[in-house]
This record gives sequence, structure tokens and C-alpha cells, in this order.
Amino acid sequence: MDPQPEPVSYICGDCGAENTLRPGDVIQCRECGYRILYKKRTRRIVQYEAR
Amino acid sequence: MASKVKKQDYEALRELFRPHIDSFNYFIDEGLEKALLSIRPLEPMGMIRSSFRSRGVGYSDKAVVMRCVREDQSSVTVKLYYLQNGSARLGFWIRGREFLLPIGIVLKALIDTSDREIFVSLTCCYNDRYQKQRGAVGSQIIGERAQIILEEALIDTSDREIFVSLTCCYNDRYQKQRGAVGSQIIGERAQIILEEVRDLSLLTSSQCLKHIGEYFRPVMDGFENESHTTVAEAVLRDYVFVHLTSNHDKFNLLIYCRLKWLGFIKVKSILVVLIVSCFSFMLQKLYALVDQTVAPDNPDALQNQEILLPGHLITIYVKEKVQDWLNKSRRLLLDELAKKEKKLDFSIVYQVAKFLGRNAASVGRSIESMIKLGRLATSSGLDLPQREGMTIQAERLNFYRFLSHFRSVHRGASFTKMRITSVRKLLPESWGFLCPVHTPDGEPCGLLNHMTSTCRVSSFYDSEGKVKDFLKIRMSILTVLVGVGMTPLLPKLERAGPPEVLHVLLDGCVIGSIASSKVEKAVAHIRSLKLSSLSGIPDDLEVGYVPLSLGGTYPGLYLFTSPSRFIRPVRNISHSSDNCLNIELIGPFEQAFMEIRCADGGDGGRRESFPATHEEIHPTGILSVVANLTPWSDHNQSPRNMYQCQMAKQTMGFSAQALQFRADVKSYHLQTPQSPIVQTASYSKYCMDEYPTGTNAIVAVLAYTGYDMEDAMILNKSSVDRGLCRGHIYQTESIDLTKNRDSEDRVLEIFARSSDKTMKSSIDIDGLPYIGQVIHPNEPLYSTYNTLTSVTKPTLLKGSEPVIVDYVTVDGTTSKNYMQTVNIHTRRTRYPIIGDKFSSRHGQKGVCSQLWPDIDMPFSAVTGMRPDLIINPHAFPSRMTIGMLLESIAAKGGSLHGKFVDATPFQNSVSEKDEDGPSKSSSLVDELGPMLASCGFNHHGVEVLYSGVFGTELTCEIFIGPVYYQRLRHMVSDKFQVRSTGTVDQITRQPIGGRKRGGGIRFGEMERDSVLAHGAAYLLHDRLHSCSDYHIAEVCSFCGSVLTASVIQPQKRSVREIHGLPPARTPKSYTCHACKTSKGMETVAMPYVFKYLAAELAAMNIKMDLRLSNRAGC
Repeated sequence: MDPQPEPVSYICGDCGAENTLRPGDVIQCRECGYRILYKKRTRRIVQYEAR
Repeated sequence: MASKVKKQDYEALRELFRPHIDSFNYFIDEGLEKALLSIRPLEPMGMIRSSFRSRGVGYSDKAVVMRCVREDQSSVTVKLYYLQNGSARLGFWIRGREFLLPIGIVLKALIDTSDREIFVSLTCCYNDRYQKQRGAVGSQIIGERAQIILEEALIDTSDREIFVSLTCCYNDRYQKQRGAVGSQIIGERAQIILEEVRDLSLLTSSQCLKHIGEYFRPVMDGFENESHTTVAEAVLRDYVFVHLTSNHDKFNLLIYCRLKWLGFIKVKSILVVLIVSCFSFMLQKLYALVDQTVAPDNPDALQNQEILLPGHLITIYVKEKVQDWLNKSRRLLLDELAKKEKKLDFSIVYQVAKFLGRNAASVGRSIESMIKLGRLATSSGLDLPQREGMTIQAERLNFYRFLSHFRSVHRGASFTKMRITSVRKLLPESWGFLCPVHTPDGEPCGLLNHMTSTCRVSSFYDSEGKVKDFLKIRMSILTVLVGVGMTPLLPKLERAGPPEVLHVLLDGCVIGSIASSKVEKAVAHIRSLKLSSLSGIPDDLEVGYVPLSLGGTYPGLYLFTSPSRFIRPVRNISHSSDNCLNIELIGPFEQAFMEIRCADGGDGGRRESFPATHEEIHPTGILSVVANLTPWSDHNQSPRNMYQCQMAKQTMGFSAQALQFRADVKSYHLQTPQSPIVQTASYSKYCMDEYPTGTNAIVAVLAYTGYDMEDAMILNKSSVDRGLCRGHIYQTESIDLTKNRDSEDRVLEIFARSSDKTMKSSIDIDGLPYIGQVIHPNEPLYSTYNTLTSVTKPTLLKGSEPVIVDYVTVDGTTSKNYMQTVNIHTRRTRYPIIGDKFSSRHGQKGVCSQLWPDIDMPFSAVTGMRPDLIINPHAFPSRMTIGMLLESIAAKGGSLHGKFVDATPFQNSVSEKDEDGPSKSSSLVDELGPMLASCGFNHHGVEVLYSGVFGTELTCEIFIGPVYYQRLRHMVSDKFQVRSTGTVDQITRQPIGGRKRGGGIRFGEMERDSVLAHGAAYLLHDRLHSCSDYHIAEVCSFCGSVLTASVIQPQKRSVREIHGLPPARTPKSYTCHACKTSKGMETVAMPYVFKYLAAELAAMNIKMDLRLSNRAGC
């Protein structure tokens, strides 16, 4: 386990607001209270097979 | 991307994704029901089955069967068997056992009347005058039969007297008609009956009731303390003609009031009158069937069927389960009351509620499991033909498939195993109700049908969506009928029968009779009332008027208002010319006796005396939704249209609009679908553009490379690269960490990543994968951290191909805090490759054999266009899919002119009202050709093509044009199977089967035979032995056993070590355990299963003996 877990951003499935959560946080949108969150797309470089 | 979308935009985007047109009521995650066909209720059916004979001695193969349905759609089937001696037995099932009652006893139990009255009521349908005329359903022996029935229940002074009276009566009345032989038979019959009746001494109604009550007491629950009469009444109420008894009391009362007013007060209750009249109707029909004055009804014809809807199935299932629960609770309460120490006080609600609540949850649970498994766990059987397979999963492969699940009608699982094909036949009765094209070929052919696009099912709701009031409807029908000349039911049982008057049955209940001269007028009147919404007559009322005939259906006027009948709209042309007001809903029963003409303007060979009263709205109304979407299906050979219906349902397309917000376990998706240029009218009617399923590919019909033989096709590689038929498979994996947890230790697991370097590459800090990341097999997909053991465990990706993480949702609805439920949505690429399956919309399927380079494809002399797809001309002559050729020409013209082309089938069969003569061109090609010619193309859709390889002109002109191609879901990437070595079976040491486990493909007996026939012995040995369970066994040549060899450990290393070389392994030496010597040990190569067989035989105390020799052929 990482010593200091960084917060990860999620997008609310209902209102689209960005939420940053740490491990152990309640899974709920801070804006609207919706409880299904989507993970954000990575900023890393991803390479696909372009053919 | 998503992070930049503002909140409002996001909202708008979500609205866009909301599916527009699928608003079915179905069970979202449980799967859903399939509609099942069952026998139509409320109409007595004459049947001839040899199995009826096995009911007992004297039973014939004839019976009249009636399925009686209560208001809540639960049903009881009542059978009336004909006995060889002329009597009848009433049969019905209670708890999986059939009970048979002599009809005379039942009749007498029901009504306290004189025997004379029953006699007349049964014989009324016979009249000497009509004997040889059409429509006479009775025959002279009916009188005897009535007598027989009476005699069964009645014993008078002496047997002798009855015998004499019976035989005498016969001789007096019918001697001239029947002759001497008949009298002998009747004498014997009378004797039989006398034997039968000897035990029973039942004279009055109460005696008969008592008899029935005694008989049924053991099987009736909850009547322990009641009298025999009460039990008998309960039996008659709950099992005989339930459609008359339940919830119709008010209706009965209505008739009763009328009767009272007329002055008949001697009847016990009107219910009895209804039951008795129903009985006598059934008896008359039974005798008519026996005398062959009416034909037996065909239970396979749609005319005699109705549909079992999922909602009704659930209703009757809930009813049964609630009954079970109440019975259980009653027993519990009784047990509690019987106990002395505890005192149960009924006035305290919670004490009683405690017992009631004990089993309450089982009701909901059993409904859930019924929907999930499709299995009915009932003790009574619910009067349904099958108990398993009541539900199917609604697959959302594409919209056609999804829709078809809700339009499908299955005949019943019991018919799938039957050898006879009569149930599968397409009968003319199902015209307009079941699609003749849309049925799968193969095992379920003809059993799994689909409703036509115009067909509907009547329900408890009327056309305005309000719940129907059946009582009100029946009362208004009754008043209308009385108004047109129907004689209502009289309590006196004496009535006339056909052909003078016809019985009028409303939902299986005899409500009166009508003179046969007045019937046709009455029917026309009711039909006209059906059309107007103010009349109180429902628009889906079925008016089955069966005219008089000899040897046909039993005549009468049968009216149905009940739910779950098929109905379809036709135009009533006899009524008014106003188009919108003359659409009448008809059912399959009445359809057989109606005159409906096709809308082509002709009269369909109808005779002058039977003018058409109705007209079809459009010929495509006989096709299902999916069959309707095949362009110009009237130009194709019919099996091709069937294949297309199959393949349309296996096409990759837009399965759903909001794919991003859905969590289907697996869904196929076509990335670049198009609207077809050539489409039928129903394409836009059903909004199929919301869910497109294919691509307009430029198809050239030529033999170009030799790679297009035998239904193979060549795809243009550059077209594929540009996105032709590009698809993906989306899969969702739901991970719920709370479910993994054992119930005892309750260790909390959370998603987390270890600091391990290798894991960092594919898993984010929260233990979940990066979005957009490619994950290869056996790389971690996510990782979890166990809080008790402090171990981080990655879960690896299964399968053999890489996936791309599409999105990940975190679900907070189940747990308070800590991430516990996660859905990982992955994507697998399915670009067209060699071996993928494609099809046009005309049942022309093919497999991609090459992705041919664009530069080597042939090109058009005029436009320079290269085809996307090449198929072989041999695909056409034997299959005769002219619709595909027409589609190609029409789509070419349509794309040149920039418009969609209408390809609705049977276009020329619809009479155009504004035009007088026939349409301007007789052939479709004459309409389509000029479209091409006006743009400078060849009239017939052919073009001069140049070879892409040689640059030379091809010797003949090539047929080329756009055809809508579907990509089918069968793809090599999901199916390929390859193996050289790998896992073997534990017992036999042969390679395992199954693609998932890395198994091989079976080289079976037939394959073996063909290799053997080729004489390829070495290959055979290689496949079946060397590559399978090759084994070298030690066999003792003395005792011939394969099993007795055991290894001897050498005492001393006998071989000297050679310097510089590893020590040579001593050859293992064996000894025979049985012979105690190693002298006779030989090595023999054999399949390992042979050794296994020897072991199995040894376990059965059979010794297998091998005789070893070096000579060949010995």
C-alpha cells in the first residue's frame, strides 16, 4: 500500500461535478448526493494499435 | 474530455443519450417472460384422441374439452368423455388426479327437476324433420343416450323393469330407422348401465349431492367439519365451469332478475341454470361429434387458441402462492390453538400477525425465482402444459432481437420433443396473426412464432388505457342481443337446438338462443356497433358466427370479450366508406368465417353469393416487424426471407443509445452504422434509424480472385481501414467486495494498489485501472487490500486478448464508506478480419476471405470507384434473391439522386384509389432503370470495370451498386480454437475439450472413418495415438496383465560414472506383482485409456489378458 494515498478525482454520474475522494471517503457526489461516480480518463499517454 | 464538459452541457448530453423508443415493461435485471400459446378457453372443443380410451373400460376416443377461465385468468379444464355405451363422464383434475363423474349424477345434483325435463333438454337438438338437412347436429339415438344418462343416476323398482323399458322404448320409436341389429346393441347397453348403477341408489338432487360430497371429501381441504352437501357444492363451484361461478354473480343475478320477473322462481339459482345449459350444450356437441355431424376441432389451429401473457402467468402464480401461504398460516394458527399451555388471543393483532408473517417472504421469493429460472413450483400445475422454461433472457444484441423477444409466441416446450410435425405446420387460420416468415428453421421451427406487426393481444385495458369493466360490457352485449331477437335463457330446460335456432354463447356461457334466420342480421348489427365507441360494445369483441353446416364446426354464435385473445385490424367495407371509422378488430376464431379480401382491388376468387365484407389494410400486415424490414421481400425466394429474419437478429448494430451509462454484461456495438438507402415503410414507422444495424457497402458481383468461392467474400482493405463494419464488444465486470467476504470473519477488503513497480503501470492509486489503458491478458485489472492480513492482491485479466478500459464506475449505494462496489467497463476491438461473417438483408451470408488491398481491387471505367466488397455471381442463380439485385440498382439510383428509396413489399398489390388503370410500369426495373440512366449510368446497373492488378478492361460488364450489409456477431476472434499440446484429462490422459480451457477439437468417428478410407494410416496413428494419450505400458507376458507391473528400486548404482558426463539414469526395471518375476516384462505402446479400461474391468472382477507376440498379424 502506498504510504500516503493521493486523492483521486471522479465525475458524478448525475450532475457531472468533479469529486476528489480519498480511500475511506463516502462515495457520494458533494454537489447532488448521487452515489454512482465515474472515474476520470487518465492523463497518461496511452498507445493503441493504429491500423 | 469529460472533465471539460460543464454541468449544463452534461445534462443536455445525457438527455441526448436517453433511449427514445424502447419503453417496454420488462424486468430489468431478471430476464423476462416469453409468451406461451395455450388452448383457447371458453369454447367447447370436440377432440378425438386415442389416449381417451385409457381412462377406463368403455371409454371411447371422443371427448369435448373446455378450458374454463376465471376472471383472474386462472383456469380449470373440464372434459366430457363419451362412453361406448352412449353415456358420458365428466372429468376434471384436482391436485394432479383426474376425477370422473357420471354426467347424470352431476346433472341431477345441480338441478331438482324431473327426468323428463333433462331428457327433453338433451334431445332438443334432434328433430326428425331436419334429419338429412344441412346443420342437423343431432341424430335419432340421442334420445337413448339421454335415457342412459338418466338411468345411471336413477334406480327404480327393479332392474328388469328398466331393462325392458329401455329396450322397449327403443323398439317402439326407432325400429324402422335402425333395424334389428341396433336393438340388440341397445339391450346390451342397458345391461351395462344397470350393472353400473346397481351400487348407486340416487333418486333426488340431495342424494346426488351427498354422493359427490362423499366422493370428494378426501381431496378437499378445509371442509373437515362440513356436511357432504357443502363439499359437493364446493367441488362443483371450484372445479366445474369456473368461468360461470367466479365473480360473475352480478351478471348471473341480472339474468335471474329477468327470470323472476318472467315468473320462474322454482330454480335454485341462476348459476345452476347456466351450468346445466352449459352441460347440455357440451353433451349435444359431444353427441354430434360422435355421430359425425360435426367435425372435431383442431387444437393446433390458431382459431382454437389464445395466448398466455406473462402478466397473467404472474397473476395466477401469485394467487397460488398466496393460497399456499394462507394455508400454511392457518395450519400454524390451528396448531397454536391446539396447544394448551400457551394462549393465543385473536384479539391481539400482533400475535396473529406473528404467525402470518412467518411464511410471508416465501411468496415474493418464489415469484422472483420464477422470473429468474422460469420454473413454476406448483402443486396443482396451474392447468398449464409446462412448468419449466417459462422465461427467457431478453438479449439486447440489437434492437431487432430485443423487439422480437417481446413479439414471440411459443407453442410450448412439450411440443419440441414430439416427433409429429402437425403442430409445426403453418395453418391458414393463423393468417394475419402469426408471421409465416419469421420463425427459426431447425428445432423450434413452427413452434416459436412471432406475431405480425399489426397483431395485438386483447387485455384488461381498452383502447383508451382504462381498465375494462367486463360486467358492464357483458350487460350491454346482452341488451343488444335481446334487442336483435335473441331469446334469453329460460330456466325450463326445454329448448330447441340447431338448425332452427342457434345457441348464443358469451365467453363460454350459454345466454340464449337466436333464430337462425335472424343471425346474420344480428351479426352485422353487432359489428357495426363495434366500430362506434359510444355503443358500449368493446372494439375487440369477437363475433364468431358459425353458420349451419353438416360435418363442419358446431354451429352457433360465439361471442368473446375475454383478455389474451389475438386481435388484428381489418377494414370493414360493408359499413361505411369513411376510412378512419371502419377499422374493425377481429380475432382468429371469427376470421375463419369472415369474408376478407386483399386490398389489391380484386375479389380473390370469391363467389357472388359471398361478397367480401372486410378488406385487409395492407398486405404487409401479415409480416412481423423484422420480416417487414426486408426490402422487396416479395421478390425473394421465401426461405431467404426466413434466413434474413434469423440473421437480422444476430447482427451487430446499435444495441442501445446510452451505451456509456449502461452496465450490460456483454454488448456488441457497431461503430460506424448507416441508414439503409433502400428501406421499407416500416423502417421509419418503427424508428429503426435509432438503432441502425449495417453499412451501405459498394458491392461488385464478380469472380475476381478466386477467394470469393463458396459464399466467401472479399473486403476492400482500405474500406475496412476507413471504418467499414468496425465494431467493438463491451463487457462489464461488476466487482462487489462485500460479496467475497465470508459471513463469519467479516474482514474488510478495499481497493488499493501496492507500491510494487509492476503494478503501477496498469493500476491507478485507487486500485482501479486507468481509463483508456490497454490491459493485456494476465496483467492486473484491479487490486484489493485485505485489512486483516495487510496483503495487496491483484486480480489478473482473464482471456486471451487485450482489452481497453472504457470506463469505471464507483458505486456508493451499497456501502456506507469505503469503495466496495465497482463496475469496470472494458472494450474489445472487433475490426473485420478474415473469417468474420457478413450478410446482406436477403439471406445472403458470407465469410470474409481476404482483406484485399485497395490498389488491387477492380475499378470503374467511368467513376474510378473501387468496390468495398466483392461477392461471387454463383450466389444468385440457385438462391433467387432478386430483391438483392433490385436493392443494388435502387440504392445506386437513390444515392445518385440523393434520396432514400421505398422498398415496401407488395407495393403493386395495393390498389391506388386515385388511379384508374394499372400503374404506369409493370416491372420494378422499369422504374429503377431510368433513375440510373438519367445520371449516365447503365440502365441495368452494370458498369465497365478494369482489373486492379493488370489495368486491363474486364471482358464483361460488372453488376455493381450499394447494398446494405450487416455484420453478424459470429466472429473468428470469439471462436478460433488452436492447440498443439496442453492440458490433458486427469483420468484418460486425452486432451481436454473446450475453447476456454485451451482444449482441442474432437477428431471424431466420422473424421476417423474418412482418414481410414484414404488409407492415411500414419496420419491416423498420429492423430489418435501419438497426439492423444500415447502411453508405454509394461505388460507381463506370463499373466498377460497390464496392471500388475510395479517398479523395482535398484539396490545399488550399477552404472559407473563417466567423468564429465552427468550420471546416466538407470533404466527403470519392472516386475510383475502377480507372477513375482520380472522375466516376462515387455513394453507395449498403447492408448492410456486402454490401461484405464483394464483397471475399470478389474474393478468389476474381470481380468483382461494380453497375449504378446512379435509376429505381425497374430
